[in-house]
This record gives sequence, structure tokens and C-alpha cells, in this order.
Amino acid sequence: MMFLPQLRGELHKLFARKRTYIGYVVFLVFEALLLTLWVQVGRDQFEALAKRNFVPVDLLSSSLTATYWIMGFSMFLLGSIYFALVAGDIVAKETEDGNMRMVLSRPVSRLRILVLKYCAVIIYTITFVIFVGVTGYSMAVFAMGSEGGLFIWNPDMQILAIYPDRDEAFWRLFLGACLMGVSMCVVSSLGFFFSCLKIKPAAASVMALSVFFIDFVLQNIPFLVNYKHVFITYRMGNWVYVLQEQIPWARITESYSILMGLNITLFTIGWMAFQSRDFKT
Amino acid sequence: MLKVQNLTKKFAGKDALKGVSFEVKRGEIYGLLGHNGAGKSTTLGVILGMVAAGSGEVMIDGVSVQKDPRKALRKVGAIFESPAFYDYLSGWENLRVLVGLSGPFDARVAKEIVERVGLSDRIHSKVGAYSHGMRQRLALAQALLPEPEILLLDEPTDGLDPEGIKWFRDFVLGLREERGMTVLFNSHLLSEVEQMCDRVSIIRAGELVYEGAVNDLRDDRPGIRLTATPPEILAEVVGRFEAEVMPGGRWVFPEETRIAEVVTALVNAGAEVSEVTPVRRSLEDVYLEYSSQSQP
Repeated sequence: MMFLPQLRGELHKLFARKRTYIGYVVFLVFEALLLTLWVQVGRDQFEALAKRNFVPVDLLSSSLTATYWIMGFSMFLLGSIYFALVAGDIVAKETEDGNMRMVLSRPVSRLRILVLKYCAVIIYTITFVIFVGVTGYSMAVFAMGSEGGLFIWNPDMQILAIYPDRDEAFWRLFLGACLMGVSMCVVSSLGFFFSCLKIKPAAASVMALSVFFIDFVLQNIPFLVNYKHVFITYRMGNWVYVLQEQIPWARITESYSILMGLNITLFTIGWMAFQSRDFKT
Repeated sequence: MLKVQNLTKKFAGKDALKGVSFEVKRGEIYGLLGHNGAGKSTTLGVILGMVAAGSGEVMIDGVSVQKDPRKALRKVGAIFESPAFYDYLSGWENLRVLVGLSGPFDARVAKEIVERVGLSDRIHSKVGAYSHGMRQRLALAQALLPEPEILLLDEPTDGLDPEGIKWFRDFVLGLREERGMTVLFNSHLLSEVEQMCDRVSIIRAGELVYEGAVNDLRDDRPGIRLTATPPEILAEVVGRFEAEVMPGGRWVFPEETRIAEVVTALVNAGAEVSEVTPVRRSLEDVYLEYSSQSQP
């Protein structure tokens, strides 16, 4: 019964800190920059490309396609930094600053403290992705109007799809954004896991990003193409399959089950490490 | 109210606590004295369940901290030497977040406590702008919410100005007076312990080397400061009386010794006696004796 007020307290702590908003500001600037370049520089190229491929130009250069680009190509590389930063801080910073002693002197279990913090991080991650989607789409509509469908071309995942119908395109992109939010929770779980260990907050963030980027690099090495399915970042990228004409639900379910399992494992090991720690000045 | 039984703890293979045991009765103010690194904070950490004991048990009002920490800590409020709050939140928000971890936050009760600790004017300011004294008052407020029966104070007056120390002392004594609050006071400020505590323990290198009433500690071995020349005769005569030399040139004689006989013996031996002063040791003297490296 006390869980929700406690979670509200945890979220209040998280969102009262200025550094939590760095990612929001950076993404707003990035979206504005990308859309400006899209309109000023890219539009002619899109028109030429559309003519060559006999595709209506309002599919290639539409607000929905721009939103897909903003989310699909920036979240992994840019968003992961902020998820790792916030999640890496969530336990380690309080331990470093001494707040954790105050918290632990209250009659509350360590598991409860971690569950609250993990929930706060997950809420931050998913709302951040949705924020980027909503603001990206709003700015794209402002820059190019709301008309036009969605054009998807992702050679890595072997997807080529065209949605002239704006409503269908919108809902598929929305579903994709939700799944992407779930995917990005893995980065947050990595940050959270390292944050539970006896290390500095910055080290926790760096470790999480290191694991994430190493996995990403390995996944993209040509001679490992047959082993793509074992890499976390490949599984995280499976959100894009909801944009395929025939959605491969079995593949998506498999990938997200693996990611959920990984999140639970990271939380559990982090909790065990946190539980066994001594907290002294 | 608080029973600490045979606590042991090792850090990196080194003994931090070696069988520490003591008991704090309900309504008592109990001091835990010791040098830095003696094991006071580790003991407090074990009592609060923040440090896992190697062996031993802590019981708070009959509930084991090791077996059921949540239930045991429901009756505990704790204050640390440098209370770390969330600087970017106001004092009130800090209270809401911290107190909310242990149960519903009652704004009316919280307001009363805030008034009582004298923070009403600044409770809605960011804690980052608080002085050390104000942080300590806020720490006191959070420790008193919701309604603890025992307060654990870990060097709470360190860094406070004399006025702040006096306020803190009076406040804690007032709590005992009004509510019968039990207090475990962990400090190396002897004057504070002397003025506040009923009983005291001295901990040295993880071992409890003394436990008793503060008054007993002060008076348990009164001595005599004897000055006489030449020093060889002095040493020879007091040696005959089986006196023991203590720090500060104080001689402690066996209980049955009459000092007049010692002085007569000195004069008869040809010594010139210039000072014979009964010395009642301060708590500091006793503390230094017990907590120094040599055996007391």
C-alpha cells in the first residue's frame, strides 16, 4: 500500500535533479537541428530519390518518416548515454553522498529500496523515449506538415516497407516507440546493476556504456553476422519489426523475452551485491 | 531496550569488533566512547543493520535486528555525524521522502516536530543552503518521525558551535524527560558524554574495555599528586607503599594507605615535600587511560 507514495518520492528525487533533464534538452536541440537540415538540405535529395524509385515524395519526406529517423538512428547512440548516466547514478550517487545511510536507517528493506529505484529508472527510460517520439513528431509536423505516410528502409534488419495510410503508419510507429522504450530498459538495467556495486557513479555509467557499445560493435562485425542473435543490441533492435508489413510476432516475442530475462538477471545480481554490502562512513 | 550481544566484525581480515556486548535500559542515555577507528561507528552500523556482524546479535525491544531488521528499526531514529540530505530538495521534501519510507507521512505531526527543532522558517528552503547546525536540526526532525523510542546518535555534535552543542544537548535531555526516550550517544567529545550520559562504555580497538556509570568512571581510582625532591627518594618511598604511577604525575595508593604516613616517611627519609594534592580524575583522564594503547 505504501509502494506508490514511496515510488512518487523516488520519482520526485529523480526529477528534481537538474542533470536528469540534460538528455531532454540535448534531444530537443538534436531534433530541431536534424529537421532543419532535413528541410534545408535533404528535401531535394529525397525528391530525386523518390523520382528514381517511383515512390511518392510525401512518403520519403514526411513527418512520420522524419520521426522514424530521429528515433531509430539517435536513440541507441545518444539516448543510451543518458539512460546509463541516470541509472548509473541512482544507487551509487546516494551511496557516495551518504544519503544511503539515512535511507537505510529507516525501517525499510534493501530490496524495497532497490525495487523503488529500479522502477523509477524504468519509468524515466520509457517516458524519455516517448518524449523523444512525441516532440520529434510535433516538430516534424511543424516543419513539414502532418500529411504523408511512412517509408522504412533498414538494410541491417532487412526491412523495406511503405505505409501510404497515415493512420496505420502512425500507430505502427507508436507501437515501435513503445517497444524501443522497453529495449532501452536494458541499458538502464546495465547502469542500475553497476550502480549497485561498490563503485563510483561515473564508473557505473561508463561500465554500462562500455558493455553496451562493445556488444554493438561486435554485433556489426561482418564475420559475426551468423551470431547476431546472441548480441543484446541485436535483440534490442527488434522493435523495428513492428514496421514490417507482416509483423513477425514470434521473433519479437522471443527477443523481448530474452531482454526481460536479462533485465531480471541484472536486477537480481545487483540486489544480491547490494544486500551483501556494508554501509559505513 | 537495546541489547548488543557479543558482536564481532572483520574488515579485510582485520578485527573491527571483538565480542562487543552492552545493554541500554529504557529511558537511559548511554555513551559509547572511543578514539576514531575504535569501532564505535561499526557498532552503530551493526545496530542499524547497515553492517553485517560476523557473529553476535542486536536486540531492540526484544526484536533481533539480524532476523527482522524492519520490525526492529521501527522504534529507532538515527542521526549521523554529517547528515547527508538531498541538497536539491527542500527540508520539508527531504522529510517527506525519508519518512515516507517507513510509513505514511503525517504532515501535522511533521510540522510540530519541525517547529520543535526550530526549523519552521527555513523548512521550505533547499537543504543545499542550510548551515551544518540546520542540517543537524533537520536530521533530528527526521529521526523523531514518526515516533521512535530509541535514538542512536553518531557523533551528532561534531562541527556544531558551542551554542548549537548546548541546544542539542538540552533538546536530547528534554526528550528523555518528556518521553522517556532511550538514547545511545556515540562520541569522542568527553564533556558531552559527561553532561548527558548515565552510563558509558569505552571501546578500544574493537573491544569494550570499560562499562559503568559516568560517576563511577570519574571516581573509581582517585589519586594524589606528590611533589618532592630528590626524586630518587620519592620513588623509593612510594614504591615501599606499593603506589602506582599514573599519567600526569598522579600516584594511586592501595585503598588502606594513609597519606599522612607516606608524607612522614618521605620527610624521615630526607625528602623535601612541596606538594600533596588529592587528585580527582576527570573523565578525560580516565578515558585516556582506558583508550590508550597500554592496558588500563
